[in-house]
Amino acid sequence: MRGDNQLLIAWEDGFQSRLGGKRLRWACPCAECRGEAGVPGRLDQTENLADPELQLAGVSLIGQYALQIGFESGHATGIYTFRHLRGLGAE
Amino acid sequence: MALSEEQVLGALGKIVDPDLGRDVVSLGMIKDLRVTPQGQVGFTFELTTPACPVRDRFKTQAEEIVGSLAGVSDVQVKMTANVRPSFRQQAAEILPGVKQTIAVASGKGGVGKSTVAVNLAAALGQSGASVGLLDADIYGPSVPAMTGTQEQPRLVEVPGAEGKTERKLVPLEAYGLKLMSIGFLAGSDQAMVWRGPMVSRAIQQLMSDVHWGDLDYLVIDLPPGTGDASLTIAQSVPLSGVAIVATPQDLALDIAVKALQMFRSLNVTPLGLVENMSWYTCPSCGHEHHLFGHGGAERAAQRLGVPFLGAIPLDQEIREEADHGAPVVTSRPNSTAATAFRELASQVAAKTSIQSFRRLPVINVR
Repeated sequence: MRGDNQLLIAWEDGFQSRLGGKRLRWACPCAECRGEAGVPGRLDQTENLADPELQLAGVSLIGQYALQIGFESGHATGIYTFRHLRGLGAE
Repeated sequence: MALSEEQVLGALGKIVDPDLGRDVVSLGMIKDLRVTPQGQVGFTFELTTPACPVRDRFKTQAEEIVGSLAGVSDVQVKMTANVRPSFRQQAAEILPGVKQTIAVASGKGGVGKSTVAVNLAAALGQSGASVGLLDADIYGPSVPAMTGTQEQPRLVEVPGAEGKTERKLVPLEAYGLKLMSIGFLAGSDQAMVWRGPMVSRAIQQLMSDVHWGDLDYLVIDLPPGTGDASLTIAQSVPLSGVAIVATPQDLALDIAVKALQMFRSLNVTPLGLVENMSWYTCPSCGHEHHLFGHGGAERAAQRLGVPFLGAIPLDQEIREEADHGAPVVTSRPNSTAATAFRELASQVAAKTSIQSFRRLPVINVR
């Protein structure tokens, strides 16, 4: 839902997730955000993200296991597995 | 009382597809049913794959069940096959005309993955399906040598998105298969000294920039291991499933499990394990030797909860034919090896058919 900056997921078992851009941006699993090989990531070192960073821009399916979520800032390297998305809960 | 179509369908509804777990009537396999007042019954039995392992059994069952109904004087069953696309809505941007994509993977190299892939593709083709074979091994492409093909693919202009034309590579053809490999493009003696991202890009192009056309099956021969190539394939296309090849040796099986774990974590359905180099029949004494142990893959499949797809012998004929550029299923169709590959192809096709009933997530942007 573009206007609401939300991603709605209707799971096969009936569960529904309604995840906001902010929640998703802070949950980004990519190496830049999370860090890799002992190097801390961007999200570990900042407490504020500018507005375009939190606005959802697009989403595409990766194989059969994940969604790639893009933000207005251009950040789109996060591949959110369905397990990860489900783990974020209903909201 | 005249025989009705409902009675015939009711009777046929007792035939259950062992792989799909449902009766053949509700699966929509019975087509063009005709019942005459004289009791002549005719219909088409449409299988989900021409390589169906229970094809003959279905035909006999159908004839017997309908033939035993009161008032039936004659039964004519026509067996056909129509491969259904995997997933009911397909994300058709890449590989638009391909109905099912089957990856062949292994944990370790040298277990005979390419041999299995080439013969699996050829056996599916023999059954009547249209089949392509994509060699996704960039560092060690084996498909050119194993199929005896080595030409530069032609370019063709095809209509693309928004009325534009796109230039695409035409796959080479041999043994009725459409083939594509990096070996055709770079020359088979060229070493591809590339880092991972180049490999990923090349594999995507072998899918998207090739005019594959309409295929029932695209068999993808993956490189060994759990690296860039396998990951790229699993991310780019919704794979119908993956068959994992291993030798019966414990070491090889332990590593095959890693490949299985990778595909499971990517939500790709494991079609099952294939045991290659399963036994060797001594040409002088005729005794079967189990050089790498016996039944290892079958036990591993059981332990891991995946199907066991079949065993392929260690056979000089397979190796000779591969070196001569011919799949043993076409060049020596009556050999033990060819029979083993055909049975494997049937099992793979049957397990793949189940995927037509799965759904992919739908993305709507509002």
